[in-house]
Amino acid sequence: MRGYTVYSNNMDEITVDVRSLSKQYGNFKAVDDISFKVKKGEIFGLLGPNGAGKTTTIKLLTTLSAPTSGEAFVAGYSILNKQKEVKRNIGWVSAEIILDDDLNAWENLGLQAALQGITKWEESADALLKYFQLSEFKYKNVGKFSTGMRKKLEIAMALLNSPQVIFMDEPTIGLDVSTRKMLWDLILLIKNEYKVTVFLTTHYMEEADQLCDRIAIISHGKIIALGSPTELKEKAGGYAVSIEVKDGFDVSSLKNFHVLENNQNKILIEINSKDNMLDVLKAINLEKLNSINLITPGLDSVFLKLTGSTIKESEDAIDYRKFYSMVRRNSQ
Amino acid sequence: MIKETWALFVREVKKTFRNKAVVGMMIVQPIMWLVFFGSSFSHVPSSFLSSFFHTTNYIAFLLPGELAASMIFVGMFSSMSMIQDKRFGFLKRILVTKAPKESVFFGKVFGAATRGLLSIPIMMLVSLAFGVVFHLNILSLVVWILGLLLLGVGMASIYSIITMRSNDWQTPGVVSNLINLPLMFSSTALFPSTIFPQWMRDISSVNPLSFAAGLGRSFVLNTAPNFLFLLYLVIFCFLFLGIGAFLSRRWLKAE
Repeated sequence: MRGYTVYSNNMDEITVDVRSLSKQYGNFKAVDDISFKVKKGEIFGLLGPNGAGKTTTIKLLTTLSAPTSGEAFVAGYSILNKQKEVKRNIGWVSAEIILDDDLNAWENLGLQAALQGITKWEESADALLKYFQLSEFKYKNVGKFSTGMRKKLEIAMALLNSPQVIFMDEPTIGLDVSTRKMLWDLILLIKNEYKVTVFLTTHYMEEADQLCDRIAIISHGKIIALGSPTELKEKAGGYAVSIEVKDGFDVSSLKNFHVLENNQNKILIEINSKDNMLDVLKAINLEKLNSINLITPGLDSVFLKLTGSTIKESEDAIDYRKFYSMVRRNSQ
Repeated sequence: MIKETWALFVREVKKTFRNKAVVGMMIVQPIMWLVFFGSSFSHVPSSFLSSFFHTTNYIAFLLPGELAASMIFVGMFSSMSMIQDKRFGFLKRILVTKAPKESVFFGKVFGAATRGLLSIPIMMLVSLAFGVVFHLNILSLVVWILGLLLLGVGMASIYSIITMRSNDWQTPGVVSNLINLPLMFSSTALFPSTIFPQWMRDISSVNPLSFAAGLGRSFVLNTAPNFLFLLYLVIFCFLFLGIGAFLSRRWLKAE
């Protein structure tokens, strides 16, 4: 379901090709020379803390904003001079839900169709509403929709023009756990059913891990790592074996391993990959073993290793800086 | 472009006419002008009224002027609607589609002008109740409404151009006070320019509001209409419509 998805015949088709893309606001480099490729049919995640440049990247790729330098091709068209073609071939789901609350679901879809220049939209709109279980609310004002329903309608609108790639900016931000789960299932479903490439941004580790085929980790406008969740986790290392042993355990049997912690018969051993767990088992006297546990690294440990702080911490750090500068300004 | 503009125009109109408070205000406000302001000259000797206003019923004089004034006030709604779309992100939604930026501008402008047309039948009926006699045929009615529409589109264009680069809620209000009041008082909407000082008469003679008011007034007071006024309004309307369309390509930003 995730990780190494097999792309039978379109393995090497590239839907989004980003080449040295930069965006500068004044002296601030929001996006700093990023390059990556998104394959057709995959779910590609841009993972990073708030303010890392995720939304700016989406703005550049959806042509909402023009890059300072570099180029990108979306669905084969340059964002620099083929903006109309780019827009025709993409769908977009914003972080904040953007619908016209004074109109009903059907009118919102109709407006989207008109703006995308789709003439025969009614049939596919009906199918999408049915698919997202919104048919009975077709003529209800979307102002009265629940957040989950609004999100679904937004995705339906993004799919209306049969896009090659759909951009989702923080698709589950601010949603409760069950709605988030529903949305994850939905994103996997539309990827499989509509064969659409999904480009999403997130600052939730578990979301990137659960959902994405490949992830690019972005920090301070730069891509600092790229790969499948499994690859990234392995590259960062961080696998460990935690064993609990009986008295009289011979610690020297672990001399070939890197022991991270040895505390009252509880020993933590770093290993390079999952398979090295067997080496630990072979090296020690199993009679003296009480329990053994494999510790799998999360993407958070990847981010930690690459940037020296967790995503949470780097978000907090930004707030602290703002806070102190505010205090300073007030005390002057 | 036409299809996208039409879709965005229909959106504006739906949003306006589904909002009961807005429709209520659109109906009540012009009535208040006619009833309260219009009645303020009730006890003025009719000889005075005839010599200054060329009618014994001030409401007959005021009606075309007030209709023209209401068309400049609706201009503000085009810019308010623009700011709202920026603040709620709807403009982003539009600009991620292949719809041209000009269609956003046109949608706002025509939407606001249409909102203004709503007051025409209401104010005419109220005026009838106050004893105003119309000297209208189909052609003169069409010319009158066309003049008002041209004024409304031109004014809404000016407003939209001013707020194209802003996302501040306050801008429309500030701008409207800055534009509407001088424009209204330096026109022939409320009083004839013969009683103005020279400098105000100069402004009045190039004020689009005077043209729309003058055109309507000739039909109500049964004097010879000056069709040059309509030509001026055509030029005014298409000039700012053109400038707005041109600038929206460059200036219109999603946020």
